[in-house]
Amino acid sequence: MTTTDRIRAMLVKDYKIDPDRLTSDARLEDLGVDSIGVAELMFNIEDEFRVTLPDEQVRLSTLGDVVNYIDTLVARQESAPEKPTAMGGTVLGTGVGTGVGTGMVNTRPAS
Amino acid sequence: MRRVAVTGIGIVSPLGHTAAELFDAARNGRSGVHRLDIAGAERLTAPLAATVQFDSSAFFEPARERLLDRVSQFAVVAAARAFADARCELTDHERGHAGVFLGTGMGGTLTVDDGYQTLYGEHSDRTHPMMILKGMHNAPAAWIGIEHGLRGPNLTYSTACSSSSVAIGEAWLRVAYGTLDVAVAGGAEAPLSLGSLKAWGAMHTLASVDTADPASSCKPFAKNRSGLVLGEGAALVILEPWERATARGATIHGELIGYGLTTDAGHIARPSLDGQAAAMRAALAAACISSQEIDAINAHGTGTQANDSVETAAIKLVFGERAPRIPISATKALHGHLLGAGGALEFVLSLLALKNNVALPTMHLKIPDPECDLDYVPNVARGGAAGRTMLSNSFAFGGTNAVLAVRAVH
Repeated sequence: MTTTDRIRAMLVKDYKIDPDRLTSDARLEDLGVDSIGVAELMFNIEDEFRVTLPDEQVRLSTLGDVVNYIDTLVARQESAPEKPTAMGGTVLGTGVGTGVGTGMVNTRPAS
Repeated sequence: MRRVAVTGIGIVSPLGHTAAELFDAARNGRSGVHRLDIAGAERLTAPLAATVQFDSSAFFEPARERLLDRVSQFAVVAAARAFADARCELTDHERGHAGVFLGTGMGGTLTVDDGYQTLYGEHSDRTHPMMILKGMHNAPAAWIGIEHGLRGPNLTYSTACSSSSVAIGEAWLRVAYGTLDVAVAGGAEAPLSLGSLKAWGAMHTLASVDTADPASSCKPFAKNRSGLVLGEGAALVILEPWERATARGATIHGELIGYGLTTDAGHIARPSLDGQAAAMRAALAAACISSQEIDAINAHGTGTQANDSVETAAIKLVFGERAPRIPISATKALHGHLLGAGGALEFVLSLLALKNNVALPTMHLKIPDPECDLDYVPNVARGGAAGRTMLSNSFAFGGTNAVLAVRAVH
């Protein structure tokens, strides 16, 4: 299965979204997944892809954005030296996010 | 001061999902208490609870459902039902000022329990990113505000078992004194995690299982009472000024006429006769009525040794020689102790008792206690006995005593 297939499967299973709506340019907000929902989605993606998200701000507006981001992370994981985590995955990146987005869809909700 | 009408009722309870279902079960003594079947129930000394039949997916889109702890789901559904019952279409201006007043004792404790299971039980660092937003005590009230666009005061009260009576009383103060025109007020609780049940059990406050009939394990005011049974659910009401309600032709369920609030400032857990009596007197004073005008009482009546004997003595102190002639109902025998939602559910039951003029029964009261020698309407409802004006009592660990005075429309 491709990354797209796996993420689409998650959105169908967990969010009960009609698969026909899950096009690459579908906006997450339009699918009912707002910025807080994205944080939760990314948490589950960490489990599905066995990666740990770096603490950085990323713009994830569409399903395609999520797919590209995960592909990038997985590629980075495969080329980087492994650093074990509690869940047996790999830590990727060391960026520190501010938690406050300015027009960004943030994976970390602001307090 | 303005008169305050109750124009909407929203229920999510172990005894049903409408006021009619709730009242029918309470009148006919149908218990919502049963043996609890959750993971780890075998570790409980008394695996009992009054649970709600609730399919959250019937009420929420999946993306939203995942963001709400069960307590917030209960609160949002009960609030929607209350607004629907009130047939209360608010203008944008009215929504800009309308308030949410919600009591909860344990907030999103299921989420917190789950999170700690991950952290400590599984030794995993995979802490869920929604743990704070789902677990925080003000989440249920916040979600009600979000759902209905209510932008006035949004307040959460956490005074243990009196939380939702305080919430309703504080909303009443604002509506009565003219600072608020519409309030949704009440309580929500979803406390049935293993951690919570173990903690309540450790206090030796929970009822032991009546092996002959687990549904009758909670026996308020009975000699053989052994404690409370935890319950879950939510009860919300719509409060508005009497004149507004009548002007728009609303169905008025009853009138909230007074609210008494006192604090024991004594022991953290032991009930205070003086504190309870003072709260009842404060409610009478706020309502500008004498004790002679109270026709019936919905007792706090938890089924614990300490509460029931102290509450009995407090009622005697306030009502004197009339006390034995006042019908007293302890409905927790049936719906369990909803903690921060208990006062609101019992306030609704008081409204319904008045509306139908039926004193609700205190079930499972087969063996009288010499220390509890008032008229608890044992085991059978009594038609024509609720009268016109009732008190609904809520007392709490921490010592916050809240009493609501409610009057029938008829």
